[in-house]
Amino acid sequence: MKKFISAVICTAMLFCLAGCEQKKSETVTEFEPAPEFSPLTEIKEGRKNIYLIIKNLNSDYWDVVVDGAKAGGEDFDCNVYYSGCNNESDWESQSRLMEEAAEAGADAVLLSPNDSVKLSADIEKVYSKGIKLVLVDTIAITDSYDVCFMTDNLMAGQLASAEMLDQLHEKGYTDNETVQVGVQVCATATQTINERLAGFLQYWSNHAPDNWTVISDIKFNEGDVDRGCECTRDLLNNYPDIKGVFGSDNVSTTSLAATIKEKERTDIVVVGFDHSPEISELIYSEDYTASSVLQKQFDMSYEGVRAALELIDGKEVEQKFVDTGIIVVNSKNLNDPEVRETLDHNRG
Amino acid sequence: MNNTITETGELKRSGSFIRMMIVYFVVCLIGMAVMIVSINGLMKEHDKKLTGQICDLVAEKMNNSIKYMTTSAQNMSAMLTAQQHSDLQALYDEFADLEGDGYVSMGLIDGNGKVYASELQLAEFKKWELLDTARQANPVSISTPYRSGLTGEPVITLFTVMEYDSGRKGWLFLTYPLKEIQNMASTETLADETEIWLMDTESNNVIQCSGGDKHGSGSWANATLIFERNIDNRDIGKYSEWMKSMVNGERSAGVVYRIGDISYSQVYANIDFMHGWNVVVRIPNSAMSSAMEKFRGIVILYILTLLCATAVMFLLTHRRDVADREILKNLSIHDPLTHVMNRRALDVAAHNYFQNALKAECTVLFIDVDYFKQVNDRYGHDAGDKVLIEFAALLKELFGDMGLISRYGGDEFLVFIKSADRLKIESKVSDLKRRVHDIKPITRKEGDDYSVSCSCGGAFCPHDARDFVKLKACADRALYKVKERGRDGYGWYDGKISKSEK
Repeated sequence: MKKFISAVICTAMLFCLAGCEQKKSETVTEFEPAPEFSPLTEIKEGRKNIYLIIKNLNSDYWDVVVDGAKAGGEDFDCNVYYSGCNNESDWESQSRLMEEAAEAGADAVLLSPNDSVKLSADIEKVYSKGIKLVLVDTIAITDSYDVCFMTDNLMAGQLASAEMLDQLHEKGYTDNETVQVGVQVCATATQTINERLAGFLQYWSNHAPDNWTVISDIKFNEGDVDRGCECTRDLLNNYPDIKGVFGSDNVSTTSLAATIKEKERTDIVVVGFDHSPEISELIYSEDYTASSVLQKQFDMSYEGVRAALELIDGKEVEQKFVDTGIIVVNSKNLNDPEVRETLDHNRG
Repeated sequence: MNNTITETGELKRSGSFIRMMIVYFVVCLIGMAVMIVSINGLMKEHDKKLTGQICDLVAEKMNNSIKYMTTSAQNMSAMLTAQQHSDLQALYDEFADLEGDGYVSMGLIDGNGKVYASELQLAEFKKWELLDTARQANPVSISTPYRSGLTGEPVITLFTVMEYDSGRKGWLFLTYPLKEIQNMASTETLADETEIWLMDTESNNVIQCSGGDKHGSGSWANATLIFERNIDNRDIGKYSEWMKSMVNGERSAGVVYRIGDISYSQVYANIDFMHGWNVVVRIPNSAMSSAMEKFRGIVILYILTLLCATAVMFLLTHRRDVADREILKNLSIHDPLTHVMNRRALDVAAHNYFQNALKAECTVLFIDVDYFKQVNDRYGHDAGDKVLIEFAALLKELFGDMGLISRYGGDEFLVFIKSADRLKIESKVSDLKRRVHDIKPITRKEGDDYSVSCSCGGAFCPHDARDFVKLKACADRALYKVKERGRDGYGWYDGKISKSEK
């Protein structure tokens, strides 16, 4: 009898197991918690208090954002505090920091959301308390903010594409020649990267000669420079007609520049994003042809502080989204004042 | 199969019920599995057809939403043309502050390319080279989506040709948030599963209008990365054909492909006035199955419950049956007084033994209680019964582990032993002869030292006979001789005929 009952139970369990789809358990990543707010400017009684929350405390890019907010605080006479995360995936810390800023009596919060979707509810909560909310660098999927200062990444991608075409022509490649351009990105699920890539491809499809094509094997380096170098070597080895490479972000650009230098491929045009010693070396070199799209992250926070103070004073902003623009740096315009200023902000 | 002789002489069939039940359940479960597989197959086929049709409908609805916008714009421009305006600046000033129906902003362009719009809109015209799109209007054109400075959201701008100042060509433009199209096209049914994009054929860029993640709307991606790269190798050919038809400018086409375990239906449809752009709709085929899956789950649950209920019912019935049979068996094979077997049961058991045994080797003992009639007469029937009960108990104690015991007649017992070990049996019979004297009638008078004795005759198979009837006859004759010798003893069949028998 026991055998029979066991057989029935086993069979039923097998059926139940067969019918059940095992759900993947969500992994919760532990990050080093964000530190408390620190004063960025001299703190004086009676001045407006602005709290800046950045994505990553350990990044040159975000240091420039902090510089911009500090300069804004000093120029426009307000107290600026700042904090941020140790990892750009840590949106929970930003949620906590927003709450702390509200409790500390913030007049305005400048936020660079680490997650445009998950932080939307927290943004709405702070905004509903009457605290002015200015987004910096990244937009959130909600209407509950006052203004967003960021790069229009679709346009930035288009300008990068235009720069690639200009440089290839400059290099002497003709419209009838077969020219291939390789693309490398750090992530495929990031809106910023997707917009830059979309802009690049859109401009390319509308303006590039018929024989000039983008290699459909778009490389994905997972945010790792070593992996990025490997991807670049793959592109160089597998596509003999490759004459240009485009990196949509800092990691990809660094990887591309480092590998092009390593392989001494002076025939290839490099167009990337952001400032790094690797791309800078190529731009300054006479042998290589390289350009980099620099964002104006200094302006994002600087103008963000200005707009926050205007909002606190009751002024209405005309625009919800302000494109802070970009500068394309190449060997020819290195000494242009605007380029110099942006490079100075980037400590380049 | 464990073949042993039992009191009923039947072969024990241990496990037959369990086996029967396992077979029953296996058959039921196989049947159910076949049914589920068939249902799944039908559901897949049905889902594939239906999702394809739904994709077509959604694409058509999206296109109709865009058409609704373009028709509104065309109506407005027709009205403005009919009004024969000569000063576009004055006209723009008139409606500049009007709240639009779903649109973000509205403006005019004259024949020289001068744009009458807000400063912000002018900046966007320059940034996105919107004048080029305006010039493509025939009679309508739509811009590529871009992020509006005014709202921060992705928008598209519609241009429609109008006439002013006695036949001069100009354009009216209206900027709509992308989500306005999405709102017009959205349906509650399958909203979470239906993904809608606008796709540019040239660059393979897509911008999401609707999808499972409501916050994903307005986000850019690339078809190569989100579709092509993930598609199962077996379906790449079909997808390439689908792409080719889009590039060739065909109005619409559908494809079914797999990504991992999920099968998708995907269709595209050209967007009028938005050159090179298409509406792309994708639905996982499983989306249609969700309702059917619930139904299938209920059916499976019902069948399993039914099987469990059947199993419990079978078990209860089986247990009751076993108990009933036990009662009947006891009633049919046992002597109600002494609880040893009755004559018929022993005969059946012994015959079966002889039938099934390849080489029979056994012993039959006939045992009589001596002068039992006197016990009844002197001490009464109750005392007689007591003597029989205790005598039977003594037989069971001595022979129970080696043979079957039956009450063969009134005071006559037969012991059937599946062994012909004469020494061992003789030792047991000696014990019997000795211990039977301990049995006393129940009502014994003072000074009465009456004690029970017994006589026993035995015969061996195959030594004395090879079948049960003859063996019994031999044992009977041996008993007869013991009785002749004066009872209270035992003897074995020796083949000789006694004087009285002669």
